[in-house]
Amino acid sequence: MRRRSIAITLAAVLGTILPTGGGQAQALEEKAQLCAACHGKSGIPLQKAFPVIWGQYQGYLYLQLRDYKSGARKNDIMSPLAQTLERDDMMALALYFSQKRWPDLQQPGAPADVAKRALQANTSVGCTGCHQSEYQGEGTQPRLAGQSQEYLQQTMMDFRNRTRGNNPGMTDLMLATSVEDLEALAQYMAGLQYRAGQ
Amino acid sequence: MTRSALIIAGAIAFAVSSTSVAQEVKQEARPATTKPSITPSNVTQEMLSRAAGDSSNFLHTNGDYTQRRYYPNAQINTANVRRLHPAWMFQTDVRESLETSPIVVNGVMYVTTSFSQVYALNAQTGEQLWYYKHPLGPITTYCCGPNNRGVAVFEDKIYLATLDAKLVALDAKTGNKVWQSDIADPELGYSETMAPTVVKGKVLIGTNGGEYGIRGFVKAYDAKDGKLLWTFNTIPESSVGVWAEKDATGRDMHRNIQAEKDELAKIGDPYKTLGGGVWQNPAVDLATNRIFFVVGNPSPDLDGSLRPGDNLYTDSLVSLDLDTGQYVCHFQYIAHDVWDLDAVSPPVLVDVRDKSGRLISGILHAGKTGHVYVHDRKDCSLIRFSDAMVPQENMWTLPTPEGARMLPGANGGVEWSPVAVNPQLGLTYAINLHQPMTYTVTSAPYPNGKLWLGGAFKVIPGEEQAGNVTAVDYNTGKIRWQVKTPQPMIGGILATAGGLVFTGEANGRFRAYDARNGNVLWTFNAGAGVNAPPSSYAVGGKQYIVVGAGGNVQIDSKRGNAIIAFTLD
Repeated sequence: MRRRSIAITLAAVLGTILPTGGGQAQALEEKAQLCAACHGKSGIPLQKAFPVIWGQYQGYLYLQLRDYKSGARKNDIMSPLAQTLERDDMMALALYFSQKRWPDLQQPGAPADVAKRALQANTSVGCTGCHQSEYQGEGTQPRLAGQSQEYLQQTMMDFRNRTRGNNPGMTDLMLATSVEDLEALAQYMAGLQYRAGQ
Repeated sequence: MTRSALIIAGAIAFAVSSTSVAQEVKQEARPATTKPSITPSNVTQEMLSRAAGDSSNFLHTNGDYTQRRYYPNAQINTANVRRLHPAWMFQTDVRESLETSPIVVNGVMYVTTSFSQVYALNAQTGEQLWYYKHPLGPITTYCCGPNNRGVAVFEDKIYLATLDAKLVALDAKTGNKVWQSDIADPELGYSETMAPTVVKGKVLIGTNGGEYGIRGFVKAYDAKDGKLLWTFNTIPESSVGVWAEKDATGRDMHRNIQAEKDELAKIGDPYKTLGGGVWQNPAVDLATNRIFFVVGNPSPDLDGSLRPGDNLYTDSLVSLDLDTGQYVCHFQYIAHDVWDLDAVSPPVLVDVRDKSGRLISGILHAGKTGHVYVHDRKDCSLIRFSDAMVPQENMWTLPTPEGARMLPGANGGVEWSPVAVNPQLGLTYAINLHQPMTYTVTSAPYPNGKLWLGGAFKVIPGEEQAGNVTAVDYNTGKIRWQVKTPQPMIGGILATAGGLVFTGEANGRFRAYDARNGNVLWTFNAGAGVNAPPSSYAVGGKQYIVVGAGGNVQIDSKRGNAIIAFTLD
């Protein structure tokens, strides 16, 4: 319930800011402050279950906002927020966060046995075919390297049990991968370092 | 600065195999500045039409309009190839999957990298002339890596298709953009990785997106200004077909035709999101003014329940009239494909023996099934199919929710890799993958611009993966020779009048084979996956072989960023 009330409040505030048009840079900054309530003022999320969005790709962030609005992806906080946004607003917000510096969550590299398991799982289902070498992502494929381990783990499980429904291809791949392998992948990807995109 | 042009009669640490190469690596590098600067010159239609006999340039992605990848220069040959060594190496700024076919025009080489970037190089020295970094839009939706397979050239421009589904014309002298056209909306799942083909003032381009619920096409644009001239939808509004129960080789595909008909009555023709990408260049028959290309898989790849019917023209060879884009004929290899064993490798025009032994105008296509298919060019009909080049097991077992094992795996057979032909020997050369996989099916509606596979293909851990180079006699369908490789093969192949066949491997090996018998005559290790088609050219009276070594996303081979040119001296 508390989450929902936060969402309604944020949505109301976003709705008053976004359509105004004038002073776009200032409006963006103000919107970003709202996002910081969960995703962090310095890009480090307030809870480990929240994703890093600073430095994430514009295309990916836009698609998530689009899907929250359409209902393809559901979240008590994000879904009502997205209802207030038009395509241009989503693109602008996504661009704003994509230009921020990806934060270092200080997550340790995976031990050798975990890394080996993760690499083997990737060989089997080909994660890096979309998420790129070292899971750095590109365009609409999110960067996973250095993302919060807890968020990665939860997201892969959400795909697996269809709680997250906006990418059935990911559901198929997660179902083709054992839970133990997903745990290894989450730990491995979280421990990878940020590398600048192309 | 990660980029450098090196004149290396030496300096490359990975050279192996022959003593002459070992000696070369001890020599000092010569400075690039001693080479004269060069200026690109116009490419006429006559040059493009006669490329098959041009022993200096490499003007088409697959050599010439027939796409034989048979280079007519014999200076490098079976007798001297052991002395082949690096002439120079150029490092691009992009260390990611490299599938480019180098194009060479009067001493200027054009190569592309992942993320749709272009370099113009001095083909004699490797010196960079200009660099174009395409500003990708925020939305890119693609399968199998951010690849680009090269440019097309015509008159004073070069043509590039980009990951965000644009067609771009650049000034060949400067790399400055001349015009840009939108091909399709990337948010709907469209992207471009293929090189365009230019013929008679038209720029021809297909589309990726068979994993995204698109409606595929081939489009023709005016080479002068980028205006759209015609569009051929690879998925007709009536995509149902004839309810074929057997594939091109006569094997039962285990379709539940009644269930499909029931579904069709409920949902109607599924043509709007049926896929049918065109990944590779069309062959052009200048005599009949027709083009021939192959169409990829239906969407979603593994779930047939959402797309009743034969899913025309997926998994097919298709021919069109060049001037109008009107349909001429087609041949479907697999109707209602639920394995993604589609048609990707570019077709080749060559004279073949028909069933009565008469020499006729033919077409070859190497399929992901592992067969080389031989067609009559007149009506696209099938004359014969070759021996299987890879193990085939449990064909056609339907995908299941638990996962069903079947060979070939979903990458083939022959993937997008172009084949080569030696018309004197009557052989075509193909590189293959052997990847045992399970095919799993699940059902979900199209997720609006996201990957839509309808299940998963999964490599089976513990089962051996491998590859091969195979020479097929296209007049009999028999395998003439085959060389196994330790990894699955993706990239491409080049045959030459010197009696050679060149191709690379995921482990970095780049090799020359004797075209007659497959004997390995030369090996070089590039230090990264050689998963790109080689080209050849001549400058200053010297023949060169050139290839990219940058690895590959699809088989996850070691990444790199090198363009390496080899020569004798």
